[in-house]
This record gives sequence, C-alpha cells and structure tokens, in this order.
Amino acid sequence: MPAGEAFSERQNDDIVRAIRLAQQQSDLPVSVYVGTLEGDPRDEAMLLHGALGDQARESVLVAVDPGSRRLEIVTGPDVRRRLDDRSTGLAAMTMTSAFQAGDLSGGIANGIISLAEHAQAPRSLHTGPR
Amino acid sequence: MTAHILFAVQAVQALPAAQLDDGEVPGKGLSAIETLLLYVGAPALLFLVIALLAMAPSMTRGPRYRPGLGWWAAPVWFNGPDDADTAVRRATPTTDGGGSSARW
Repeated sequence: MPAGEAFSERQNDDIVRAIRLAQQQSDLPVSVYVGTLEGDPRDEAMLLHGALGDQARESVLVAVDPGSRRLEIVTGPDVRRRLDDRSTGLAAMTMTSAFQAGDLSGGIANGIISLAEHAQAPRSLHTGPR
Repeated sequence: MTAHILFAVQAVQALPAAQLDDGEVPGKGLSAIETLLLYVGAPALLFLVIALLAMAPSMTRGPRYRPGLGWWAAPVWFNGPDDADTAVRRATPTTDGGGSSARW
C-alpha cells in the first residue's frame, strides 16, 4: 500500500467537528489517535493518554489501530466518574461496527458523539441558569 | 426444438429477398470496415466509457480503508499534544483511568 493521508479533507472535518461538539456540549476533551499501537495496545494507549499532559486527567483518548484492528478508549481518572466503562463500551461498539464496514472517519465521529452524549453532566435544577 | 428453429430459418430464407416492396429503395451497403466500426467499435467504446464512469469516483478518492488489508497512512493525532514525540517520550501511562477495548 502506498503511503498517504489517512483521511480526506472532508473526513478530517467530520472528526474535528465531532471533537468540537463534544467539547461544547459536554465539556469533554476528546483526543483521537489513528495509527499503529506497538506492543501491547492497551499499554500503548495508556501511554498516549498520559502524553496528553495536564489535561490528561479529564480527557478521553480514542486510539484506533486500523492495521491490527484494535480500538482502545482510555478515560482519565476525573472524567471516569461521569463517563463510566459501560458508556465507553457502547461507544466502542458504535465505532467498531462502522469500522467493520470500512468507514473509519464516520465510526470515529459517531463514537465521539456517543461519548459526548453519555458524558453530559446531569442538568442541575438549582444552581444558576442552564 | 431444433426442428422448430430449422423450420423458422428455412421460412426466412424462402422469402423473396431479391424482390423489392413498393417504394423500397435500398441504400449503399456497408463496407467491412464500416460494419466493424458500427457493430464492434461503437459497443466497445460505449463499454469503455461506462466502465470509466463507474471507476472514476474511487480513483479520485484514493486508497480506502478495508478491514484486513492493512494500513498505509502515517499516524494522525487529533487534539493531541503539540510535540507528540517528546510528549510520548516523557509521558507516564495513565494507569488509574478507565475505558474499554474492542476489536473488529
């Protein structure tokens, strides 16, 4: 296979838009890595998550390895309280079913939106304007 | 079955081909090259045009991800650290987080 861009401009925009939406609607910082996860995929994904630095604790990392067909979602300890492992599992299923059909960018974008929906902070009725 | 076909062929051959109907004016016959162009060249050209039209969208889009056929592109990191290499080298893995894994 020749080397090339992973995504077309439009696919890039779809992913960027989903990330922005998650940030705006659910205050959820999402980072997406698409590439090879060397060694143990889970360990590698956790290392990449750690590389997010200061904001790692409240960030979600979605790591996709299309070559070996692995998906890892890593949540920081702070964000884990509102985005439990069951929710990330659901998002992972959304993504992998699209990946199976060969739709990488669409699966990633929909998965991020699913994550954002689950991470929505419960609406408070007594603390200021909504 | 064969008898029917044979009969039909004989019936057609028995028609008086030489006799012209009223008002019938035969034109010039086609030369061999013209026949080839009309009955072989034109369909072949049409075939090529349609095949090209069908293949054009995927040719302009470039290589597409297909599960099981490997991955060719350089890694991309959306919303990642500015200097990814350095950040990964200095990073400590997040071990107290959560999440999930999946395969497809």
